[in-house]
Amino acid sequence: MRLQGPLALAFLAPALLVMLGLYAVPLGVYLVNGFHRFEAGRILPGWTWETYAAFFTDPFAYRVIGQSLRLAVLVTGLALLLGYPLAYALHTRVRRPGSRAAVALLLFSPLVVSVVVRTYGWFILLATRGLVNTALRASGLIDAPLPLLFNLRGVVVSLTHILLPFAVFPIYSVLVRLDTTLKDAARDLGAGPWATFTHLTLPLTMPGVVAAALICFTLALSSFVTPQLLGGGRVQVLPLVVYQSTVEINWPLGAVAGLTLLVLSLAAVWTLNGLLRRLPSV
Amino acid sequence: MGVLVQDLRAAAREERAEAVRTLVLRAGLALGVGFVLLPLAIVVVYSFSSVAYGVFPPPGLSLRWYGHLLAQEAFRGAFLRSVGIGVCATALALAVGLPAAVVLVRARVPGRDLLRAFLLSPIVMPKIVLGVGWFIFFARLGLEGGVGPLVLAHTVVVLPFVVTILAANLVGLDPSVEEAAQDLGAGVATVLWRIVLPQIRPGVAVSAVLAFIVSFDQVESSIFLTRGANNTLPVEMFLYMEKWQDPTIAALSTVLIGFAAALVAAGLVLARGADLRRLLGR
Repeated sequence: MRLQGPLALAFLAPALLVMLGLYAVPLGVYLVNGFHRFEAGRILPGWTWETYAAFFTDPFAYRVIGQSLRLAVLVTGLALLLGYPLAYALHTRVRRPGSRAAVALLLFSPLVVSVVVRTYGWFILLATRGLVNTALRASGLIDAPLPLLFNLRGVVVSLTHILLPFAVFPIYSVLVRLDTTLKDAARDLGAGPWATFTHLTLPLTMPGVVAAALICFTLALSSFVTPQLLGGGRVQVLPLVVYQSTVEINWPLGAVAGLTLLVLSLAAVWTLNGLLRRLPSV
Repeated sequence: MGVLVQDLRAAAREERAEAVRTLVLRAGLALGVGFVLLPLAIVVVYSFSSVAYGVFPPPGLSLRWYGHLLAQEAFRGAFLRSVGIGVCATALALAVGLPAAVVLVRARVPGRDLLRAFLLSPIVMPKIVLGVGWFIFFARLGLEGGVGPLVLAHTVVVLPFVVTILAANLVGLDPSVEEAAQDLGAGVATVLWRIVLPQIRPGVAVSAVLAFIVSFDQVESSIFLTRGANNTLPVEMFLYMEKWQDPTIAALSTVLIGFAAALVAAGLVLARGADLRRLLGR
């Protein structure tokens, strides 16, 4: 439809109103708190850099930032390592459209179940006498149960599970668009299956991998429910610091940690988007 | 003759290798699906456990946790509240998002890429940061408690999903149909309602289902907007899990998994499978 000038603006106005009034303004109102100071249980009205200075001179900040990045990198790496073969197997080894849709639906299905439920599932699985430890002991691989809950390991495993669909689908959608004649050409030129994969399929599906990494990394970095419930206080990441400071009415510290989290997310988006633009598109 | 036999042997060897690769990849895919479904399956098993603590296998079966669940009125209220909030936020996001998506696809407005980035940015925004922002913002406005702030917050969270999906659906439409209607004297509202909307009905259904699912799973963005009396279901579950880990949560999760399965089935019927097949490739 033809939409010009004031008419286009009228169509856009409701969304802009919502996005400015209920998104930009609340974010601004919150984040300016970082330029106030929290002392003796209340927020002082004056403007200052002191909260930032105090946060970034404290080794605690670097431990938290380091832990957040470690969690995001580990989860993203694992999700890609698991997600790529799954997407590849689904695309190349499930031929019937009906079975393909069914498998895709199964892989996708956890997304419709609350993240609290999925985290609870891992809570049961990873418990001292849970399925994982029972199975490992029965198989004779370990003597004493492994501590899988209330540490980084458990959080990484369950977060990888939670984000796996976000890794599979971007990769799958690029695999589907890959020109099959290229594969035939590679074979005719004498390339074996492995060479075809490493020299053709993998490089051409990198846009999907980068898109998957982008989604997984940002979601893992800002994850809150899983580290809070499975970390047992030992997995201190930025979202938990934001939560804890807000509960303690220390909005300035929360705002500083929140802006740090936001900047790290945007930096990841910016870096990976830049990478995406430089990759050949299928 | 010898060369031919050699060729045939090589071909047979290659065929066997290919069969092995297919077998390995299919086994991997089955394992992957198992990994994805395991935490949900274990939750269902535990909901019938006879004991409160996590041990595998459960020593006995019982329905006591379902009885316990029915006695918890907070969960029932929170479920209904979450459904109501999800429906309202989805409706609002569709009403606001459809005209905006039309502008993004059809109108030539300056700074369209920037506008699109702004409209989609809540996807990568850490939800906990948004949650604290809304907490402070609505408190300043004196709008504390109740479901109003939750509906507005969820509208912002789901809006980018609605806009992306609707815009993707609009790209495939032939603009000349709309222009013909305009030439025949139809106003933009009529064109939107009578020409555009009927053509993208599957996209509307998919975006509505996705928006509802996303809204129904909000913890971080809502936890500071709830005061106990207006807890949403995921928040209620999260707070319950922080205190107790008995299988009441598993019983509730099992009910929710059933609810989600019904929702997916409804979504499939609404989209009549056609749209899903397009999304998943042929």
